[in-house]
Amino acid sequence: MKKYKYAIEVKNLTKKFETFAVNDVSFKIKKGEIFAFLGPNGAGKTTTINMITTLLRPTSGSIKVAGYDTVKHPNDVRNIIGIVFQDSTLDRELTAYENLYIHGRIYGYRGDDLKNRINSMLKFVELENHANKVVKTFSGGMKRRLEIARSLIHNPEILFLDEPTIGLDPQTRSHIWEYIERMKKEYNMTIFLTTHYMEEAESLADRIAIIDNGKIIAIGTVDELKSMIGNDMIYLKFANNLDSECVKNILNILNEHFGNSNIINGIFEIRVKNANESIPKIFEIALKNSWKILEVSYRKPTLNDVFIHLTGKSIRERGGNFDMKKIFAKRRGML
Amino acid sequence: MNVITTMAYRQIRRFTRARSRIIGTILHPIIWITFFGLGWSRALNFPEAKALFGGVDYLTYLVPGIVAITIFTTSFMSGMSVIIDKDYGFLKEILVAPVSRSKAIFGRILGDSTTSILRGIIILLMCAFITHINILGVIPVLIIGVLLAFTFSSIGISFALKMNNLEGFGLVMNMITLPLMFLSGAFYPISSLPIWIRIFAYINPLTYAVDGMRYFLIGKSQFPIVMDFGILSVLCVVFLSIGMYLFEKATIE
Ligand SMILES: Nc1ncnc2c1ncn2[C@@H]1O[C@H](COP(=O)(O)OP(=O)(O)OP(=O)(O)O)[C@@H](O)[C@H]1O
Ligand SMILES: [Mg+2]
Repeated sequence: MKKYKYAIEVKNLTKKFETFAVNDVSFKIKKGEIFAFLGPNGAGKTTTINMITTLLRPTSGSIKVAGYDTVKHPNDVRNIIGIVFQDSTLDRELTAYENLYIHGRIYGYRGDDLKNRINSMLKFVELENHANKVVKTFSGGMKRRLEIARSLIHNPEILFLDEPTIGLDPQTRSHIWEYIERMKKEYNMTIFLTTHYMEEAESLADRIAIIDNGKIIAIGTVDELKSMIGNDMIYLKFANNLDSECVKNILNILNEHFGNSNIINGIFEIRVKNANESIPKIFEIALKNSWKILEVSYRKPTLNDVFIHLTGKSIRERGGNFDMKKIFAKRRGML
Repeated sequence: MNVITTMAYRQIRRFTRARSRIIGTILHPIIWITFFGLGWSRALNFPEAKALFGGVDYLTYLVPGIVAITIFTTSFMSGMSVIIDKDYGFLKEILVAPVSRSKAIFGRILGDSTTSILRGIIILLMCAFITHINILGVIPVLIIGVLLAFTFSSIGISFALKMNNLEGFGLVMNMITLPLMFLSGAFYPISSLPIWIRIFAYINPLTYAVDGMRYFLIGKSQFPIVMDFGILSVLCVVFLSIGMYLFEKATIE
């Protein structure tokens, strides 16, 4: 096995179709890291994956996977990667077992070794009881799980998951999250995943790149990204209807201690560095001033807040019917 | 080697899954033989006609043609499955695998050819009961069948790699299969065609397969058998190479 520090090194990567699908993107992924591309429909996630996995030639820029250049040494790259594509690539006419069997043979496995691999992977994704069913009859979640199993048959060092949970129900989604976490733990796999679900990026990824319009607009750990817009929000609701004098007074005191305080619809809003530390302090102050607090709540900033902060729009805003149509149109025209 | 056999296995496995397809492709030639062949065989049952068909009854004359056409149409349909694989994404699974693309596509052609030759054999054996063909000729006929199947699988796949939808492929297939069928000498001797049409028959690969098969099954042929084999072999190599080249260059753009 080749030694390398960075599983993936992307430099000034650009892909131009009619317009720029990926526009001067650079990033590095360390070995053993789970890295997520978070972005709305059409951001360029799949195009980036297609280039890294040798399926598309970059218009310009360079990509190294485990030290191998994807354009000069595509087969070395192909040997060590596994992929779950956004749209299913299973053979629908064949059984689950046959799909894995064909994949394994193509990657050079055979005999009992292959059989054992297939069975253990089917077990891993809890499909062992469906091994001999034709894939056509599978639900969306079962297909996804089977594809994950298939992508693992040849023991890849680096795994690509393009929107692994898109269109799945919450239960199946959390199953798949579990698999992903186990893959990292049990096989020390490097995982590159794309998603437009913030929770997914947040709960799985060591580092996240937020991508929009073909450009990376922010990159870092969840905490680093959130610290870009700073702060936790604390909300206070008081027992009795306060007169304006009272409100002014409270705001003054809060501002004295924390700064950044506001009242919106009768609820006090305080921006703090760390809500966990600030809330006890608020109670101390309340006690001293004999305030009667009815409700306290707080909110950490979400990645969506970060996205809004950077682009002025929400990640979900562009996820409607319009985009579904585009996705189908794109699929039809492929290859 | 793994890749070739695996891809061949996959094509054959898919074929055996689709029962309706198997029945359909066997039913088709049977309809030709019974409704077309039997009828004309009665109508053409006089000495001058027999002389035209090389001294055998029309039904017997028809057998090599039907076998060749069965192999030709079913192997051409190889292309259809390539387009289906594009649509359902399976092709990407192959494109991203660390294998020789030429071998992968060769395996595919091998698998599809096997199934279409199998269908040819079934038709041939059924015809053996009702006509006067030379049963010993079956072996060399199979060799011609292999060349024919490889040639048209490759042609079908080459078209498919350059096309995006089933409708387009269906159109090409319809436009190509009918003329090739009628200009192949399968139904009547090429020599009875006007000169300017005969030219198209001469550049039709199917012509040489029909002629070669007729040589071994009936003992009559228009061209020397060496020429049939020679031309088919060359075409086979040429189209196989084109198919491999196109697949080598295939991307998902
Ligand atoms: N083969 C292609 N030809 C032309 N344009 C393309 C092609 N593939 C992608 N694009 C365009 O490139 C842009 C990025 O597409 P891409 O599929 O990479 O987005 P994505 O982030 O994966 O989105 P999604 O969440 O919808 O999967 C889109 O505007 C898309 O229309
Ligand atoms: Mg995508």
